[in-house]
Amino acid sequence: MSDFRRFLLKRLAISMALTLVAVSIIFVVLRLLPGSPFEALITAGNLNQEQIEEIRSLYGLNKPLLQQYLAYLQSILSFQFGYSILRSQPVWEILRPKLFNTLVLLVPALVTTAVVSSLAGMYAGWNRGSYFEKVSIITTTFLRSTPVFITAIIFVIVFSYTLGLVPAFGMREITASPDGLLETYLSVDFLYHYILPFTVAVLYYSGDFLLLARNGVIEKKGSEFLKLHRAKGLTEMEQLARAGRNSMLPILTYFALRLGMIFQGLILLEVVFAWPGIGRELVLAIQQQDYPLVQAAVFIMALAVILANLAADVLYAYFDPTVSASGGESL
Amino acid sequence: MNGAVVFERLDHWKHVLVDQLRFLRRDRLAFVGVVIVAGFLFLGLFGPMLAPHDPIEHDMVNADGAIMRLASPSADAPFGTTAFGKDVFSQFLAGARPTLIVGLFGGLGTGIIGFLVGLVSGYYGGWVDEVLMRMTDLTFSLPFMPMALLLLTFVTPSIWLITLIIAGFLWKMPARVVRSEVLSVRERTFVKSARASGASDLRTMLLHVGPNVLPIGFLYTAYGVAWAIAAQASLAFLGFGDPTMTSWGRMLRQVFESGNMRIAWWWVFPPAIGIAAITTSVFLIGRAYEEVINPEIQTEQ
Repeated sequence: MSDFRRFLLKRLAISMALTLVAVSIIFVVLRLLPGSPFEALITAGNLNQEQIEEIRSLYGLNKPLLQQYLAYLQSILSFQFGYSILRSQPVWEILRPKLFNTLVLLVPALVTTAVVSSLAGMYAGWNRGSYFEKVSIITTTFLRSTPVFITAIIFVIVFSYTLGLVPAFGMREITASPDGLLETYLSVDFLYHYILPFTVAVLYYSGDFLLLARNGVIEKKGSEFLKLHRAKGLTEMEQLARAGRNSMLPILTYFALRLGMIFQGLILLEVVFAWPGIGRELVLAIQQQDYPLVQAAVFIMALAVILANLAADVLYAYFDPTVSASGGESL
Repeated sequence: MNGAVVFERLDHWKHVLVDQLRFLRRDRLAFVGVVIVAGFLFLGLFGPMLAPHDPIEHDMVNADGAIMRLASPSADAPFGTTAFGKDVFSQFLAGARPTLIVGLFGGLGTGIIGFLVGLVSGYYGGWVDEVLMRMTDLTFSLPFMPMALLLLTFVTPSIWLITLIIAGFLWKMPARVVRSEVLSVRERTFVKSARASGASDLRTMLLHVGPNVLPIGFLYTAYGVAWAIAAQASLAFLGFGDPTMTSWGRMLRQVFESGNMRIAWWWVFPPAIGIAAITTSVFLIGRAYEEVINPEIQTEQ
């Protein structure tokens, strides 16, 4: 266990270092960007010199770069993201509901696809060479390799514009003004808007889980322990269940990784469906050069990946002790 | 190296190529993929020349001299026209080229950088491995799409820059896979005996370890092509494409932004199907190879 603990400590240190580097890179990139949203305000003549200085000192832009950097580190690592430049609202207050909207859309989608397509993959692997295996692999390869916005666009054209079954974009009717969580997320109107992006997300993620599960079962199928089970007289289904259980590890770690990429993975999906999530917010903030908003959004995305990588590595090392000895290989 | 050896090598490679083609013919899906990729290559090379009109400059006009806006497919414009009176067919033909350039070079860059990093990292181990793998960790934790968007706002996007950014982010995938392959090849007898007989590290790495992990490198280069195409299309769709060139992603952005997706299906489907077909084809070919390369999946059957 002490080996595992050492591995854990090393992995934690690495994650913290990575966070620091990622945050620094974001800082540098944003400082290199030409122009600033203030300039637009200044050229529009809405501010006089005094007000400009005031704003600049408010954002700490008049201090030396190193001091700015340290202040930035301190603030961002304590989740103090400052004020949005264009919306005069704390960044976190803008982002929090968007984060939640993204999670509401993608976590259920990810869980659904992890369960359904893993099971389908196990079945496909068990029935190697069957019609089901071929069709499922072609379909999911198509869905996985095609950029998600294209699948989304095709679904919108078919199910919204042609068949008129569901709305094409947004999270609620424009006229809806729900109050509180329950009213926002629990209504037929929400469900109508939810079903299409949810389906596309499920389909998009399905390929990796299906293949992982299939390959896992195929690997296990020839192994000794299954021969034993067969000799013991277990039914096909019982054997498959055993083989499936033994290929869960890669699926679990992959799930953790995907979960970490959830905020950045489907920016385009959110854009096509005008889903008010963090990805779409980031694209808008970049277009409007709202730096505090941009850096907070990118930071959250990076942090999520770092944490998920950490979780995946630790999961793997915990369940498969041979891994930690070789330095924590992850997917 | 004398002439005979060169010819022997060439002959060897010719055999390899013929074998590969024969193998691809047997896998029907991979074969369809190859045909589509060949068609795409043709479009990328000659598409802009075949286009009947300039994709951006030329306005389509009807018999009365009025600009044809959102005209459905007809004899004049086989794929219809855009909201701006441009010929969709010409845009489709011309739009294959940036897709091909970014896909090809982005994929090659991804494969080459990843292969070298994986090879060096796995071969030397120790602190070299540590440093290189922490670098791949870093590119894994920097979210690709947001970072690419950020970088592209502060410089004018051009296809070469986009290619560079894509390769700069995607090499991590082959790097990891190649490294783990190298780790197992490194311990094999022929590598050990090469080193024991006094071969330098560089020589051992390039001549003995390298060729054995090359198939994985090729496979991930192919995947890199598909990823690069998808990434390029996605960036263009978000408005971060090369502004001087018509690309399939940019066409989709225009039809989406102009709000004409509801009506102008003829404007949507050519670029959408183009991108979907090429990325899927590359993946299907790759998958067929993976069956051959990955011994664990191969054992059964």
